[in-house]
Amino acid sequence: MTDERGPDSINASRVQPERLEPLDPVLQALDPDRGRPEDVVCSQRLTLSFGPKTILSDVDISFRRGTITALIGPTGSGKSTFLRTINRMNDKVVGFRRAGDVTFDEQSIWSTHHDVLTLRRRIGMLFQRPNPFPMSIRDNVVAGVKAHRIAKGKQLDVVAEQRLREVGLWDAVKDRLGDSPFRLSGGQQQLLCLARALAVGPEVLLLDEPTSALDPVSTEYIEALLATLVPALTLIIVTHNLAQARRVSHQTMFFYEGALIEHGDTEELFTHPKQADTERYVSGRMG
Amino acid sequence: MAVSVRKPDMRRRTIAGLLFRVGTYLALLLVVGPALWVLIGVVVRAVPHWQWSVLTTPTKGTTGGLENAIIGTLILMFGVLIIAGSTGVMAGIYLSELAKPRRNGKPSGGLFRTASDVLSGFPSIVLGYCGYVALVVGLGWGFSLLPALIILSIMVVPYIAKSTESALRQVPNNYREGAAALGMSKGYSLRKVVLRSAIPGIVTGLLLALAIACGETAPLIYTASFTDAIPSASLIHSQGFAYLTYPVFTFYNQPAPEAHYLAYDAALLLVIIVLILLVSSRLIVARTQRHSESQGR
Ligand SMILES: Nc1ncnc2c1ncn2[C@@H]1O[C@H](COP(=O)(O)OP(=O)(O)O)[C@@H](O)[C@H]1O
Ligand SMILES: [Mg+2]
Repeated sequence: MTDERGPDSINASRVQPERLEPLDPVLQALDPDRGRPEDVVCSQRLTLSFGPKTILSDVDISFRRGTITALIGPTGSGKSTFLRTINRMNDKVVGFRRAGDVTFDEQSIWSTHHDVLTLRRRIGMLFQRPNPFPMSIRDNVVAGVKAHRIAKGKQLDVVAEQRLREVGLWDAVKDRLGDSPFRLSGGQQQLLCLARALAVGPEVLLLDEPTSALDPVSTEYIEALLATLVPALTLIIVTHNLAQARRVSHQTMFFYEGALIEHGDTEELFTHPKQADTERYVSGRMG
Repeated sequence: MAVSVRKPDMRRRTIAGLLFRVGTYLALLLVVGPALWVLIGVVVRAVPHWQWSVLTTPTKGTTGGLENAIIGTLILMFGVLIIAGSTGVMAGIYLSELAKPRRNGKPSGGLFRTASDVLSGFPSIVLGYCGYVALVVGLGWGFSLLPALIILSIMVVPYIAKSTESALRQVPNNYREGAAALGMSKGYSLRKVVLRSAIPGIVTGLLLALAIACGETAPLIYTASFTDAIPSASLIHSQGFAYLTYPVFTFYNQPAPEAHYLAYDAALLLVIIVLILLVSSRLIVARTQRHSESQGR
């Protein structure tokens, strides 16, 4: 089936793995983020529970601007719950309670400083199962753009093309922008969702196992794509795939039994874990 | 799915399996048979005597044409679509999307649900009688359009609300999550994303409501009575209101063959109206579901 072909091969010049090297002073002077706080999202003594059941307790962590952080841990360790708290997707869930705080731009995400709709525009999310809307491919890309009135009319077509190009889907769909997104392959659907999320100009992107429903080729492609999104964006990615966490992330956080057990630079955490549980998990001897 | 295991199964198919199969075919026949029988019966009896003047002359006693009844039925259907359609769809949206779930996680709106179940279990003639006592006599509106519309709407709102609610509940939650995660407000995501995929279910509910609106007799006899006059603009005090089921129901008992012909003509027109409803609802569904998940696969 022609529909099943993977995304177009990635444009190698856009992949910039060197970006995390310390910036020299001249570059630093040119850096638009200069003077902005180094940490975008911080959680402070954050405790999350559903009804009587505490899912996570006392999580203190900061996410550095322009980096990729991987959240790892066994199923049920609260990774998704933590992630969905950051864009307030848990607020309305029955039984959800929290103590402690999460800040974005140094203001509590629950304070009046942040309006929940704007917060979600600035902190985007990609889900495990691709979830395109039941509308044309083009309308999918600009759905959020329309909702936030970022562009209208002819500009929408420009935005759609730009974002589809950004995720490398343009050539595959340019002749069928009016078609249903559900005829695309799973990997292409996920890229479409990524284009949709990027279209509203987020600063942070939360990804909940974004490749676990996809084939290896699409997975590899998306991983390479994520690397191109930093340092413009800050990515927080939940993954079950330890190799993936090691490949894509700068920092890693390990959740286990309701707590943040260990966090640090990815390479350090994988090669010299400080906690016995971490050691067992990253070496594959747990769950 | 597991198609490959079919062959060894074929031999082991039991009598029970065979009976079940025969049973399902019989059930199918029980549904399709009468439908065809009615359709053919009506066509065969109406067409040989058909005169186009039926469409342009009102009834005169038990003779004349059906113009007043056709216009009346169309007005009733339109009125029900507007009144019951908007009320029912909004009630369904409320039940599925807006009513806060209870603490125990069960859906709320229990009182409404009970009330609407009771209502849809009511014999329509009882509702019609209530309309007669309360509206026609009680408020002194007389046999006219408004009491008929109100009673018909009360009858069909539960169907519309229920089908809207269940259609909305079947919309995959990941649409709602995706919309929320993009920063769409609840109302916006409902209008632009969620309702779109609930349209088939909602249209089915509306279709059923309209079919009831054009097919009911008992509640209308109590609230609209009948008249030879072409429906006027007045909602009340019109001294009767015409509709197609009345000739079907009453003219058949008349001795004159002309009355019988009119009864069959009215029946044929009702069948045609229902068929038009069916086809247009299919078209609406096809048009709005071009991009749906089920279409795409
Ligand atoms: N809406 C909810 N209501 C009650 N419990 C929940 C809800 N969502 C998740 N949980 C529970 O929270 C725990 C952590 O779930 P989750 O965050 O999805 O874990 P992970 O993503 O690490 O696999 C699980 O035990 C799960 O059953
Ligand atoms: Mg999870």
